[in-house]
Amino acid sequence: MSFETIIGLEIHAELNTKSKIFCGCSTEFASEPNANTCPVCLAYPGTLPVLNERVVDLAVKAGLALNCKINHVSKFDRKNYFYPDLPKAYQISQFDLPICTDGAVEFECAGRHVRVRINRIHIEEDAGKLVHMEDEPYTLVDYNRAGIPLIEIVTEPDMRSPLEAVTFLRILKSILEYGEISDCRMEQGSLRCDANISIRPVGQKEFNTKVELKNINSFRELQKALEKEEKRQVELYRFDEGHKIVQETRRWDSAKGRTISMRTKEEAQDYRYFPDSDLVPVVIDEPAVAEIKNSLPELPMEKYRRFTEEYKLSADDADILTGDRYLSEFFEDTVREGAAPKAAANWVLGDMLRMLNESGIPSREIPVEPIRLCRLISMVEAGKISNTAGKEVFKEMFTSGGTPEEIVEKKGLAQISSEDALLEMVKKVIEENPKSVSDYRNGKTKAMGYLVGQVMKASRGRANPAMVNELLMKELG
Amino acid sequence: MSSDFISAGRISRGVAGKSFSAVEITESHISKIKANDEKIGAFLTLCEEDALAQARAIDKKISEGRPVGKLAGVPVAIKDNICTDGIRTTCASKMLEDFIPPYNATVVEKLLEEDAVIIGKTNMDEFAMGSSTETSAFRITRNPHDASRVPGGSSGGSAAAVAAGMVPVSLGTDTGGSIRQPAAFCGVVGMKPTYGTVSRYGLIGLASSMDQIGPLTVSVEDCALVLEVIQGYDKKDSTSCCGEYDKDYLSGSTEGIRGMKICIPEDFFTESLDEETAFAINESIRRFEHLGAEIEKVSLSIDHSDILSAYNVLVCAEASSNLGRYDGICYGYRAKEYENTDELIEKSRSEAFGDEVKREIILGTYFLSSSNYDRYYSRAVKYRTALKRRFAEIFSRYDLILGPTAPVLPFRIGEWVNDPVKMNQMDMYTAPANLAGLPALSVPCGTSRAGLPIGLQLIGPHHGERAILQAAYAFEQDMHKEVI
Amino acid sequence: MRISKDEVIYTAKLAKLCLTDEEAEKLAGELDAILADMGAMETIDMEDAGNDTEAGMPRGVIRPDENVVFGDRDKLFVNTKSMRGTFIQVPKVIE
Ligand SMILES: [Zn+2]
Repeated sequence: MSFETIIGLEIHAELNTKSKIFCGCSTEFASEPNANTCPVCLAYPGTLPVLNERVVDLAVKAGLALNCKINHVSKFDRKNYFYPDLPKAYQISQFDLPICTDGAVEFECAGRHVRVRINRIHIEEDAGKLVHMEDEPYTLVDYNRAGIPLIEIVTEPDMRSPLEAVTFLRILKSILEYGEISDCRMEQGSLRCDANISIRPVGQKEFNTKVELKNINSFRELQKALEKEEKRQVELYRFDEGHKIVQETRRWDSAKGRTISMRTKEEAQDYRYFPDSDLVPVVIDEPAVAEIKNSLPELPMEKYRRFTEEYKLSADDADILTGDRYLSEFFEDTVREGAAPKAAANWVLGDMLRMLNESGIPSREIPVEPIRLCRLISMVEAGKISNTAGKEVFKEMFTSGGTPEEIVEKKGLAQISSEDALLEMVKKVIEENPKSVSDYRNGKTKAMGYLVGQVMKASRGRANPAMVNELLMKELG
Repeated sequence: MSSDFISAGRISRGVAGKSFSAVEITESHISKIKANDEKIGAFLTLCEEDALAQARAIDKKISEGRPVGKLAGVPVAIKDNICTDGIRTTCASKMLEDFIPPYNATVVEKLLEEDAVIIGKTNMDEFAMGSSTETSAFRITRNPHDASRVPGGSSGGSAAAVAAGMVPVSLGTDTGGSIRQPAAFCGVVGMKPTYGTVSRYGLIGLASSMDQIGPLTVSVEDCALVLEVIQGYDKKDSTSCCGEYDKDYLSGSTEGIRGMKICIPEDFFTESLDEETAFAINESIRRFEHLGAEIEKVSLSIDHSDILSAYNVLVCAEASSNLGRYDGICYGYRAKEYENTDELIEKSRSEAFGDEVKREIILGTYFLSSSNYDRYYSRAVKYRTALKRRFAEIFSRYDLILGPTAPVLPFRIGEWVNDPVKMNQMDMYTAPANLAGLPALSVPCGTSRAGLPIGLQLIGPHHGERAILQAAYAFEQDMHKEVI
Repeated sequence: MRISKDEVIYTAKLAKLCLTDEEAEKLAGELDAILADMGAMETIDMEDAGNDTEAGMPRGVIRPDENVVFGDRDKLFVNTKSMRGTFIQVPKVIE
């Protein structure tokens, strides 16, 4: 029997605001514990929440970018539960009247056209952070994150493989980044993903029991966690033990590479949702929605189309570039400075991407100025430096900064095109390599390559290879 | 007793006009509190030094010829569920026994801006749950008119402090009658403004959708004066009303009640209403008629047990959530012994909340739990909506509704405390205004044969404070005329 | 009976209140009386509710996205029973 995997995602994204959702505290990351707190976000008795208007705008923006219907009236509800990271003992969220509903994202993945419907987007507040002390009977509480605005995006179970889920999440991330809706720093938890997964025999209409996976904080882990859970469930069905799959929440332990059961449906909390009467309904009229719609920047799909048409980039190049807002912007800035699109794409997707991966620097913090890359490209094109030297200059620009001209100067990388200087080197190489010279003269043309290489080596890569070739031929007759 | 009373209006005029100093006024009120409060038990905290420092600052302003506020030198007592920066605020609960707020409620800021003197914090039912001030974790408050009887509640301390002449003005809070009922029991004026008129920022929440702060005063004139000070749009309270506010409720009040159309709800005069109260209210109705009001008896066709049920469901539900924050982690009582955080939370709450509070929290949790939500909470919300509509209809035809404030006279201490069902009945005439968000005021309208005060309630339409205050003022003036 | 002792205990647990057996017993009786008294709720006509229309001044405060720093940091934690540095310390939380 063949099986089909059913995946739905719930994504939490921190919104790009200066202040928290219901108070004026800063949303800056990594300040001193509890430095970004006040009586309101610490839930001091008598304090009241007042909604940050930008939160509404950003949530609407997300809804529009994901083709959602915007609800002109939505409201806030309280989700009641006790946990030390939740100072009010309720989280302000939206239960039955969320701000956005019924959206969709479409994409191609491994030959399938995928349409992931968005069930809803709602606004809520984040909780604080617990720091568990090893070897100590204490937990420390930091409320800096308490009250940071979030949107939760809930998809329908429309993904059919871990790869589709990861692809969807990548697209979603780039949309949120393009729209400046969220920073999407997965490593800092500003984009978090829970996944619901179930398996059913191909052809079956109804869904089987689903399992919720929590604590996933990278694309790779999403893929790994889903693959692991997919395998676990398929095996249980294969051995006729499908009943062992219970509706539960499992925590992904990335270190151990497995999921651990947290709680089953029976133990599920009764959150006692009810309207929060400290807040009034959120009312957003059509002109306001239209204004936000106008403020939406070009989204990844449109940019992809433009890059392939305007810059004649290959589908693959355009896909990788537009999949990352910052990379695509860097590319385009470089082109705007005058670089040829093809060359700029090669540099960005080649050396730049490799350096970013190696250094772990996120693409939003590219340490190179587009104009400098542009100048570097033209130096290489004009033959002022060799391609190899160009790569060295780029590496230096990336790691230590500086202009390409300075680096070429400092490292003495300028290409040697002076015939006198080159002839001297050529003569020396001929003198030192009698065996290769005689091989060449005896018809072994391959020896020429070796000799050119020796000259290049002697010049530390700076010699103009074309001229070296020419001079060698001439000298060897 | 009346010779002891000096109104807020007279104090501020006297202080501003240098007839007496703010320090003199403050000292005389403090000594009155010291002399009487042992017997009454209205206060939980007395802020003697802070109050005197404030008074001195006001006197200095005056001596330097600088302008002073509308409440210059007026001693004000604040119910202990309203946060005062640096001054212990307990909600009369062991949970907040040592709680020091790091900020002032908006109403406190407004009082200070107008140069009122915060003199102390008053006793109340624990977390404002109760109608007799008997659930306070700290002390019993006695009715100044009969020390064997309750002052009403939950703002019992605030009402008793005014009634005993210890302060001319106090602030209370009213979720289902907690200002008006003690005002009636203690023979003072008490008002619950339209929901959204006075900022709730700094009011320790019981039921957010109904809580409202309001004044308790000796006279209607003072009530209007204090309301003018504490009302207003507040950007810290999302439910605050942002329109224009009346700045002089009693201006042009020569017309008084003449021509006002007043509705007397027959539903308020059932067998559950105390006979002497009914008599006093009927006398007052004649007085209103005499003053030129058009009186009409109408059935509101509202059922008091439905009102009380809906009110109870909403209060308990909201309270159960509002009181979740008391977990012993960031502030408040923390249990001494615990194994883990879960136990810390559970033990702190179980040890520090009183019986009434626990009862309401458990009830509210029950009403909101998934299996009961539709049966109780949804119904209560729908009922409230229907009630609002019913009132809107009534107020399309009438200026005011007039009736009793409380169904009974002040009862004896301990008499009802173990009967929550009976205690709930106390709110039957007052809770409708909270459910519908309407303004309402209780004004003294006579006494029983035994000399116990009786209160008359006026309910107005949304933002109908002006009509209420003008009618109450004319009525009060007419009452006084007779006494003199 | 409208509410059993077990229901009272379960509900109290949800509200993070622990009750002794006696307390639960007593409360069950009281709550039952209250719920019985509220029986009337069942007669409320659910159809005739409609929308919540409220008269009067517009309500609804919203704030611009601006930082407001709470100045007096010392006052903020004077009520906290145990701190470590600027962290609040609680006994071990088991996830
Ligand atoms: Zn804050």
